[in-house]
Amino acid sequence: MTYYLLRRLNLLIFTLLVLCLASFYLAFLFPGDELTNLSGVRFSTESERLQSFEYYQFDQGAFLQFIRYLELLWQGEWGISFASNEPLLQEISTFLPASIELSAYALILSLLIGIPLGFIAGLNHNKLTDYTIFSVSLLGYSVPVFWLALLFIIVFALQLGWFPISGRLSLLYDIPHQTGFIILDILRSDLADKGEAIKDAMLHMLLPTLSISIVTSTIILRITRRSVIEVMSQEYIKAAYTRGLNHSQVIFRHGIRNAILPIMPQLALQFTTLLTNAMIVETIFSWPGIGNWLIQAIYQGDYPAIRAGMLAVAGLVVIFTVSIDIMHKLIDPKRLNRQRVKI
Amino acid sequence: MPLLDIKNLTLEIETANGWVKALDKINLSMEANEVRALVGESGSGKSLVVKSIVGAINEGWQLTADRMNWRGQDLLGLNQSKRRNVVKDEIAVIFQNPVSSLDPTASLGEQLEETIPDFLIGRGWFWQRRQRRKQLVTRQLQKVGIKNHDLCLKSFPHQIPDDICQKFMIAMALVSEPKLLIADDPTRGMETTTKGQILKLLARLNQTKGLSILFVSHDLLAISSMAQTMTVLYCGQTVEAGRLKKLRKRPLHPYTKALLDSAPSFSKDLLPKSDLSALPGTIPTLQHLPTGCRLGPRCPRAQKECVKIPSMRRIHEHHYSCHFPLHRPIR
Ligand SMILES: Nc1ncnc2c1ncn2[C@@H]1O[C@H](COP(=O)(O)OP(=O)(O)O)[C@@H](O)[C@H]1O
Ligand code: SF4
Ligand SMILES: [Mg+2]
Repeated sequence: MTYYLLRRLNLLIFTLLVLCLASFYLAFLFPGDELTNLSGVRFSTESERLQSFEYYQFDQGAFLQFIRYLELLWQGEWGISFASNEPLLQEISTFLPASIELSAYALILSLLIGIPLGFIAGLNHNKLTDYTIFSVSLLGYSVPVFWLALLFIIVFALQLGWFPISGRLSLLYDIPHQTGFIILDILRSDLADKGEAIKDAMLHMLLPTLSISIVTSTIILRITRRSVIEVMSQEYIKAAYTRGLNHSQVIFRHGIRNAILPIMPQLALQFTTLLTNAMIVETIFSWPGIGNWLIQAIYQGDYPAIRAGMLAVAGLVVIFTVSIDIMHKLIDPKRLNRQRVKI
Repeated sequence: MPLLDIKNLTLEIETANGWVKALDKINLSMEANEVRALVGESGSGKSLVVKSIVGAINEGWQLTADRMNWRGQDLLGLNQSKRRNVVKDEIAVIFQNPVSSLDPTASLGEQLEETIPDFLIGRGWFWQRRQRRKQLVTRQLQKVGIKNHDLCLKSFPHQIPDDICQKFMIAMALVSEPKLLIADDPTRGMETTTKGQILKLLARLNQTKGLSILFVSHDLLAISSMAQTMTVLYCGQTVEAGRLKKLRKRPLHPYTKALLDSAPSFSKDLLPKSDLSALPGTIPTLQHLPTGCRLGPRCPRAQKECVKIPSMRRIHEHHYSCHFPLHRPIR
């Protein structure tokens, strides 16, 4: 186990290093001055540049330059943005939570839709219900996310007017930024009418969440369905029936747990797909998340921001993936109960 | 009236080459208090017979029979779940390879408790019922000779040794106080002492409780110590059935003779998939079943007529299906 943990951590650190290297290299690939791309400062005088030159250890070899870059990253000095002149790490920490929030809700929604439907389809394998659910899921799977988002806006926001078109919260409310997660921030604010504000936030959230959930729901549905079919054909399920358990007892006591346990990491990993999709949808709904922010950065040629944003998102995905992997290993019941007992 | 009476049970299963009769006109009957051995090489369809009786076959397989009665009640025409309902408290089954018939994510205690039928718990508040459940479970384990029951109940299926698991399966099967116990290869791969314990346990249950046992095995030694009657299966067909003593002394079917000859003193355990020393070749797979008598290609007495399925013939209680049985000279 220790060996496994070490190997995973090793992989994590190595991958993060490669990401850092890539982002460092980006500063040289982008047009313009490398130092400007790293620091985000447009130098007006030669002495300013020289100062930076020394600060980033550009008088040393490439390897030491990279080491210095890592050091600065670690200290939180990610440079500043061309567009806003704000420190990039601070910018990212305001925009990234909005994306994480969107993906997290979408993941929950997808699980709530995908798992039960997957079970229904799997339990009715080769029957009409199964075929129906499966074909509809195929449809959901093949719809492009941005197209769906636009469709939702046109139908539910513009024509029916049920939901706001864009943004995260009505301008009526002024919520101070604390955690970056809107519901939490509302709860922690000293607003008089928190219920109304939360309702408003939910309304804003629904369409973007729904449009990225559809695809993931169908993926989760398929994973669950496969697992249910697999489990229900096992010997122990048939044996449970012969012991006099009825259909629902067998499903609730033996089917669900065995079907869900092995696919938990796969389900959790959908979060990363969601995050990517969220970044696309954000631009359509003007959701103040990292995707929207990155697109703006690209439009404005804000190279330091692109570099830092890419690093933050990729780093998050890598860290999340490895954590899920490790967590699954830690709580895997098969591993926990592997040791034999002597009776 | 026999407990279980099965006539011409046929099970068709779908393979890559289309539908084949994995079981072809199987006859089997069990009297109360009887221990019957179901014998045959590995792959002869013993486990499929067991699964057909208790309704644990794959969905979509075709099961037909001329007669399939449990204590006079017709089981044919009922679907799998109805059939299970009829027999759930009266027929208990231990499948081959017990570990795979237990849920790997539930403790043994949970799985044993849930098999206790409600009528044994009686009425009362839920804590009284739980108490009663616990008592029953513990007593059940004591009966089969598992001493450290607390540890056993807390364990998960793959944590316990095979012989304990087999005993646990017996305990579980006996919870509902069945009339018939079907044990599919209960002593497979066990060493002599534990095998002896299991056999003794089953024999005692038969004598003290009058439990009927359908004992599925390759192990001719174990069979001779347990069973009064025997049904021999070859490749999905019943080839011979009758009292064990008669069959041993004077087998009528060439296959039975080969089976006995390969373990002359009844002392050798037939190894799974091992060739029968007395017959050339091996048991055909489902994809390459011979027509007519399925023993044909391997049979020393085979003639032209053998491409037709021999019908079941009877001398007193001794049944056999062969065109040229051993007591008749070949032309
Ligand atoms: N689930 C299954 N699918 C396809 N063929 C099967 C299945 N189960 C058993 N068989 C086939 O049926 C035949 C009899 O198998 P089985 O009843 O397990 O034999 P035994 O218990 O006598 O060793 C074998 O040829 C086996 O390949
Ligand atoms: S019917 Fe023919 S092939 Fe079959 S066992 Fe008898 S003699 Fe052999
Ligand atoms: Mg078998």
